[in-house]
This record gives sequence, C-alpha cells and structure tokens, in this order.
Amino acid sequence: MKSFFLALLVPLLLPAQVTQEKLRAAQNDPNTWLMYGRDYQATRFSPLSQIDASNVAHLAPAWIRQARGFEPFEATPLVFDGMMYVTGADNRGMALDLLTGKELWGYGKAIPKGVQGCCGSMNRGFAALGNRLFKVNYEARIVALDSKNGEVLWETVIDDFKKGYSATVAPIVVKNLVVIGIAGAEFGTRGFVDAYDADTGKRVWRFYTVPEPGEPGGNTWKSDAWQRGGGSTWVTGSYDPELNLIYWGTGNPGPDMNGDVRPGDNLYTCSMIALDADTGKLKWHYQFTPHDVHDWDATEDPVLADLTINGKKMKTLLHANRNGFMYVLNRADGKFITAKPYTEVSWASAIAPDGKPMLIPGQEPSDEGTRACPGLGGGHNWQPTAFNPRTGLYYFGSSDGCELFYKTQQDYVEGLWYQLSTTGPVPKLHSKGSIVAVDAATAATKWRYEMLRSPSGGMLTTAGNLLITGDQFGYLIALDARTGKLLWKFQTGGSIGAGPISYSFRGRQYIAVAASGALITFALPQ
Amino acid sequence: MVMKVFSFLLLSVGIAIAQTQNPLASDPAAASVGKGMFRVYCVGCHGINGQGSRGPDLRSTQQHDDQELFTTIRKGSQATEMPSFEGSIDDTGTWRLVTYIRSISKPDDGPLPGDPANGEKLFWEKGGCGACHRVNGRGGRLGPDLGKIGRARTRISLRESILTPDEDIAGGYGTISVVTRDGKTITGVERGFDNFTVQLIDLSETFHSFERSEVQSVTRENRSLMPKSSLSDSEVDDVIAWFIQLGAVKAKQ
Repeated sequence: MKSFFLALLVPLLLPAQVTQEKLRAAQNDPNTWLMYGRDYQATRFSPLSQIDASNVAHLAPAWIRQARGFEPFEATPLVFDGMMYVTGADNRGMALDLLTGKELWGYGKAIPKGVQGCCGSMNRGFAALGNRLFKVNYEARIVALDSKNGEVLWETVIDDFKKGYSATVAPIVVKNLVVIGIAGAEFGTRGFVDAYDADTGKRVWRFYTVPEPGEPGGNTWKSDAWQRGGGSTWVTGSYDPELNLIYWGTGNPGPDMNGDVRPGDNLYTCSMIALDADTGKLKWHYQFTPHDVHDWDATEDPVLADLTINGKKMKTLLHANRNGFMYVLNRADGKFITAKPYTEVSWASAIAPDGKPMLIPGQEPSDEGTRACPGLGGGHNWQPTAFNPRTGLYYFGSSDGCELFYKTQQDYVEGLWYQLSTTGPVPKLHSKGSIVAVDAATAATKWRYEMLRSPSGGMLTTAGNLLITGDQFGYLIALDARTGKLLWKFQTGGSIGAGPISYSFRGRQYIAVAASGALITFALPQ
Repeated sequence: MVMKVFSFLLLSVGIAIAQTQNPLASDPAAASVGKGMFRVYCVGCHGINGQGSRGPDLRSTQQHDDQELFTTIRKGSQATEMPSFEGSIDDTGTWRLVTYIRSISKPDDGPLPGDPANGEKLFWEKGGCGACHRVNGRGGRLGPDLGKIGRARTRISLRESILTPDEDIAGGYGTISVVTRDGKTITGVERGFDNFTVQLIDLSETFHSFERSEVQSVTRENRSLMPKSSLSDSEVDDVIAWFIQLGAVKAKQ
C-alpha cells in the first residue's frame, strides 16, 4: 500500500524533465518547443490550430520581455514545464515564466578579448536534456547550465578562438550527446561537427568537414590548403532516429572568394553530410557547390520530410541552398532526387540528373568585380525554414538579386580575415526579397510573396494554415500557408532576426518572437 | 585640475598607442594584405577602391600623416560614422591598412580654389541652398544637414552633388510620389519605406504617412528633389570652399 502511494507521488515530486523519449516524440507534442527546429526533422511545424487563418487578425500581445543586450536577438526559445529558455548575443541567456515573461534567472559571461567572428556575437539558442540546458559561447566554448537556476554545471573548450574559431549555433541533443557546429571559415580555420557527453562535457567525437591528405576526399585539395579549408557548420542540423543519422550543412571553403590556392572540388565544403550519431563517421555526403568562390554556404536547414514522389514513399531531405537552388535528396543514401532554382541564378543552368551543377562560365570573382546571381548572402541564408505536412509546402526567405564579386591576393596570417575579398552592389540594380513556398516533392515554386528584401526572421507554419515570419522593418507577418495571402501584420518596433515559435500554455496557443532587444508573445484575446 | 590631468592622460595614451613611423610603410606585401582587409572592413563606407561613398574618399589623405590615419582607424572619428576598430584590428593590421591607403593616394589636389566667405553668402542668398539644407541650426529641413559636410565629403564628391544631384543621392533622401485613392499626388523626400507603409516630407515640410495598400500608387523615383544649380563655376568653387571648412578636422601643421 505504502509503495503504491510512493509510486503516485514520485511523478509529482520529480521535476518534469526533457527526456530522450520526449525529444524523439517532439513532433507529436503540440504544447512544447523542445529544440531549435522544434523537432528532430527541423520542420518548425506546430500542430496547434487555435490560432488559424480565420482568426489570426485578432492576435494581440500577451507580454513583452525587454532584454537589453540580447540583440541581435536571433535565438529560437525553448518552451517546456511552464518556462521559456532563451539565449542572446554576448553570451547571454535567461529563463522566463511562461505566464508573465518575468525572469527566473539570467546567465552571462564576458567575451574574452580577441575573439574574431565574421558577423557578430549573436547566439541561436539552447538545447535541453534532463535538468540541463546547453549553449555555445562566442569564444568557442560549450556550457551546460542547470535549468532550475542557471548554474554552470560544466564548461568545455571547443577550440582555440585565437585561430579564428567562434560559436553561435544552437546545439542539438541526440541520445546523450550534445552536438554542435562551429564558425570561422573567414579566418582560415578547418570546420567540424562535435559531439559532447551531456553528463560530463567530454568530447565523444569530432568530424572534420575538410579531410586530410590520404583520407577519402583529401584529393580534392592541393598542398596544405585543407588546413585552412573552412567548411564551418554554424547552423543546427537535424536527426533521423530510425537511420541514426545526423544531417549537417557545411559552409564555404576558405579563402572565400579566391579559389586559386585551393584547386579541386574542396570536399566537404558547401555540402550536406550525414554522420553516424554514435561515432560521427561519415555515412554519405552531397556537394551542392563544388569549388565555391561565392561564399554560398550550404549551412541552411536540412529538413526531413517523408514524401510520396512518383508514387513511391521516400525519406527525403529538403534544403534551400544559398546558391539559388532548392534541393530534394534521399536522406538514406544522399542520392539526388531533384533541384530547381527559386530565384535568379547565373552560375548554373540546371542541376543534372546525376546531381552535378551544369556550370555557366565567367562567374569567377575578379579584381574589378564580376556580376553573379544570387549575391553573397544568397538566395536563402541561415534564417529558419518550415515544412508544413498538410500543405506539402516548404517555406523560406530569399534575397532576389545579384552582386559584384571581387577577388584579392593575400597570404594567410593567423587570426586575420582570410576571405580574399568581398562583394558590392551592381549599379542601378535594386535587389528584392521574397517568401518562397515550394512543393516539397518537386522543388517547384508554388507561390511567392514579394517584399523589399528577404524577410530577416525565420519561418513558422502551423496546423491552422498559417505561415508566420518577420522582417527587418519590425513587422511580424502572418500569411495563409496555402496561398501566400497576407492575413495579419503587427509592428513590433524592432527588427526581427529570429524564428517565431508556437506553443500552448494552460489551454491557450501563443506565438513568440524576438524583435530587436525584446521578446514578444502573442495570443488571441480571452 | 581633474580635467587637466584627464586630458593629459588621454594625450599620453594617444602617444603611447601610435608610433610615429609606419613600420610597414611602402611594403608591397603589407599593402596586399591591407587591400584584403580594406575590402572586408572599409568598403561599405569608403567604396571598393577607396573612392568614397558614405565615407570620405581615401585617395586624398595627403593632409594627414600615417600616425593620424592609424589613430583614426583605431579610435574612430568623433562626430562622424567612422567607428573604432580597436577590438577587431591589431597594431600590425592597422599599419597594413595605412600602407594600403597610402598606395592608392592620388597626387595632391593642390591649393583649394574659391572664397569661403562668398560661398557662405551664395549658399544663403543666390544659391537658395538654405531653403532645404541646414547649417548650424539655420535653414530648411528637407535635405541633409550640411553642418559637418567638410568632414564627410571630398571636394570632388561635393561638386558632383551640386552639379549632378541625381547621380548619388544621400541615403534617406530619395524622392517619392504617392497618389492617393482620390487622385491627389504628393511628392516629397522619402523618410520611410517598408513592406507595408511609406513616409515622406513634402516641399512644405509636412510629414505624411500611408499604408501602401490604402493608396492608388507609390513611386520611388531615381532622382533628387534638389534643383539644377544656378551658380557659375567659380561660385560653385566658393560654396565648396565654405563646405570644406564645415566640421573639418584641422590638419596637423
């Protein structure tokens, strides 16, 4: 009898926790947001439908949390157990009460002098397991915090920031491993994906995205260029528990705009890689842009979708690449299925059935500037994407235009920029942007919502037939996910550079998004 | 006393961080790395070849010695948009940049033609510039405030702006025309344009704001509202001579 009561009490006394089982089933839990891409498939599809296309126009702010110093605020918050956990720029983080937005604890750590990053000290979010939260710090460290009070449980150096490494990625927890990527390909670094033991912080495996001579792929580099080969991994990957594969996109080869010092395809840069989750061993790779000289990272979301293509059920990987093409791959073996351009592309006429780009000559950067499309940032950049299984559409932002690509000569100097030039605007050309919805099975564009520039916030889609994103002018925007029709907009007062999320708390559906230095939640009036 | 000590300290720090001689002066390898750095850090404001755009033309830096250039890069320039690069570029990197900037120097423009006192008079009177531009709290509000223009622009780009104002319109000063649903056209200086709304100031300095979905049309025009100059060549020289003095940092003697 006694033990019966104890059994009843234990679940009440033990704090609710994020378990490995919950992470695997995240797709089916509408109330929480447990990881960067919402689920292992990185769909950013919320099954909630209280807010839908018919009533979204009534959305109103529920609370606003001012978080000075968190900007540029690009994190995807995590939501579970009545709390919201979010990170910000400059090694910041905080835990908020889901009802009021009040802060339960804050985390901060000074960035040491001398950290070099291409683009700032923003941070894309926490990962969670048990009572622990994991985040990277800018100076290429990973920390585990106690989710109850923010206390540091362990801290591990990922690599030496003096070599040019930095970290901004949201980790992803796979089994008992915390998996992260690294930034720094503009500084002559060599990229990798790392897995750390969630209990101890010890590194379990590392996969270098640039092979050494003698390793498979090592012959796609000449001399010692591989040592500074780039291939950073600065956006969170996805995971297929059945195949036990982790998918991660890799960035540009180094130096970015001058390929003369690195003849060859430069594997595994600008590629999708599939790694065995337990060992970090490479299962397959697919290179989108061989020997890239336009900084077209392939770090954009790898989204996992089970689709019927030509009457056949397939496990696919969706990827809107910075190079202007949207790809569908077979995620079991990495085989190319299809790809289509979603914006103006000048470097390749098409992707051939064997998966190789059909190149158009004359696209190489030059001292006087060479026009190429899309521009350096893409096409689609890092901003979160979303796949809605109900519409069958995959959504992402796009910069539509061209740039002049310049090239310089320069010897490598440790810790200095090793980009070997830059881009500039094409005179009299006004680039635009758009929200693109493509048919996930065919990669064909279904509809397009044109804007002045690519939306700076990421995508969220819901079972209420909504597509929600934000722009740099501060608007949070809701479109009909089926048609792209504008349904609602709200001026938040700050540029939106993060992916919106949705969750349910005490029976009410919320949309939350960071705008400039504030975190804002929305719900329907009660 | 406290202030004096403070100023003295600042001066000492200034001397301590900047060497008087560029250790990499005329070193082609340093200029080459400097060019690479320039294209990462500087082109956004100074143009791909240092020709200037939002920031000054760096091919005309003859009035400043290497140490001044070094200090400006490290500390930024007060009252301008030039930021400090102290945290991101070390001493050697800064000297490499200085070496590159020197390598693109043009021959000195020679002594400045024009009479600045007459230029000021022309600005307020015959030129009619003060109807739209402001200097030291006087003048119109439609065009850019020119109170510190001498710090930001070279005389070449000033001449271009006076003679061909449509060629390079200052950021935020484009022309926009809105036709309302009842057929009224409002033309003015663009003060805001986003995915959903438009803001402008018309010629009477009245502010307007519209939802773009609630007007008949919105046209952004590739022209400046600034009229064609009525000044002679020598009068333009006079106005430029006055502009160059506005907000200028005194060159080292």
